[in-house]
Amino acid sequence: MAKLEPYSPTPAARAGRVVLTVMPFVIGIICVLLSFVPFGRIFGSALVPAFPLMAIYYWAIVRPEMFPPLAVFTVGVLFDLLSGGEIGLWGFVYVVTYAVIVPQRVIVVNAPFSAFWIGFALAAAFAGALAWIVVSIIHGMLVPPASVIKHMAVTVAVFPLFVMLFGRIERRVLQRG
Amino acid sequence: MEPNRTALPFREFSHRISLIFMLTLAAALLLLGRAETYVFDRARQVVTDLAAPLLEVASRPVAATRRLIERTDEYAYVFDENERLRAENARLLAWKEEALKLQAKVARYEALLNVQVDPSIEYVSGRVVSDSGGPFIDTVLVNVGREQGVRSGLAVIDSDGLVGRIVATGPKASRVLLLTDLNSRIPVVVEPAQYKAILAGDNTEWPTLEYLATQSAVSAGDRVVTSGDGGLIPAGIPVGLVIQTSDGELRVQTFSDRGRLDFVRVLQYEFPSQVRRQDPPELLRGDADSESVEAAE
Repeated sequence: MAKLEPYSPTPAARAGRVVLTVMPFVIGIICVLLSFVPFGRIFGSALVPAFPLMAIYYWAIVRPEMFPPLAVFTVGVLFDLLSGGEIGLWGFVYVVTYAVIVPQRVIVVNAPFSAFWIGFALAAAFAGALAWIVVSIIHGMLVPPASVIKHMAVTVAVFPLFVMLFGRIERRVLQRG
Repeated sequence: MEPNRTALPFREFSHRISLIFMLTLAAALLLLGRAETYVFDRARQVVTDLAAPLLEVASRPVAATRRLIERTDEYAYVFDENERLRAENARLLAWKEEALKLQAKVARYEALLNVQVDPSIEYVSGRVVSDSGGPFIDTVLVNVGREQGVRSGLAVIDSDGLVGRIVATGPKASRVLLLTDLNSRIPVVVEPAQYKAILAGDNTEWPTLEYLATQSAVSAGDRVVTSGDGGLIPAGIPVGLVIQTSDGELRVQTFSDRGRLDFVRVLQYEFPSQVRRQDPPELLRGDADSESVEAAE
């Protein structure tokens, strides 16, 4: 378990806490927007990684108290509203994935990076499979799974880059806090 | 240290309660969202319109990088490309002669039969500013909306062919349902025998041809164009080529490249249900005049 900072009533500490609480949430929303930037076009492909899943996994493992279920839900619903797909699909998938990740965090929180990465691969596989099941039920047919497999594979492949980025942001903000 | 000891279990407890609450809320939303209520559509519109300008700004460097890569590629192959274009130009000039002859012939036949020629279709151009962002959805946002005269149902094309159709519009941005999306159904004909079918997206790269008559002899390489049935999309827009997959199934490779969408045109097509009887074209009028002169004489 990560150590919680003792509550301090001074205004500066309070402001720091607000930043700490808001920051992962803001990162989550930025990740949602990033998912819609057509990066794939540079390479002539339509593949874009699941940026919000990376943010959710990172903060659920590293600092779950800073990324509450409400933030996960908001990030997922925002993604649904922007994607034009079924309302609540990714909201549901992300909240369930988060609920599965948080109790397992003790296994990977102090483990080497490879374990952290493997954990993410499992979480991505779980989220992809759950989304595929829900979509297949909604459409009443077995939706071809190739696109979700590719989507999650790209996500797992670029995850280390984002861990570095999130880690840097976290350290920067923690130092200030 | 005393406050921390009581705060920790309380925090964990509230975290757990909030997680259960959010799980229930998410499941409820998933079920409610299926009802496609007005509230969700409105929320979607607001969020899309708010995000569109941000995405437009973010997509510019992406487009610039892609152009840079393409330009570099072009420089590398400029000699080969020049040779290819020369050969193509020679071929096209021959075709141009053929096309001009045919155009004159068609205009004459249309005039003789007094064919009701479709009114010319106006369009509004826009840029694709977002990617679909999900593995089960194939939609993109374009930066033109109701203010530019875009409305639901209009066809969207790019320089290669049909891209999809508009499914939702906001004041400044619209959502295009691509041909490959699970929900996309477009009435098409397979040339040259004019077999009618429905082009159905199924979340793979190549949409399928549904409701194709069993006796129709469609084969790989046939051209697929829109049929205009239903009056939503004008007839004759190129869609793609029929291909045969490794398991023997006939699918369609679309002309427009899903991964390279940039500038698109939204066709402001009105089904010509109330077209007035047209005057014969000038081509015939000249003849009619000379005939009437002859008759008078």
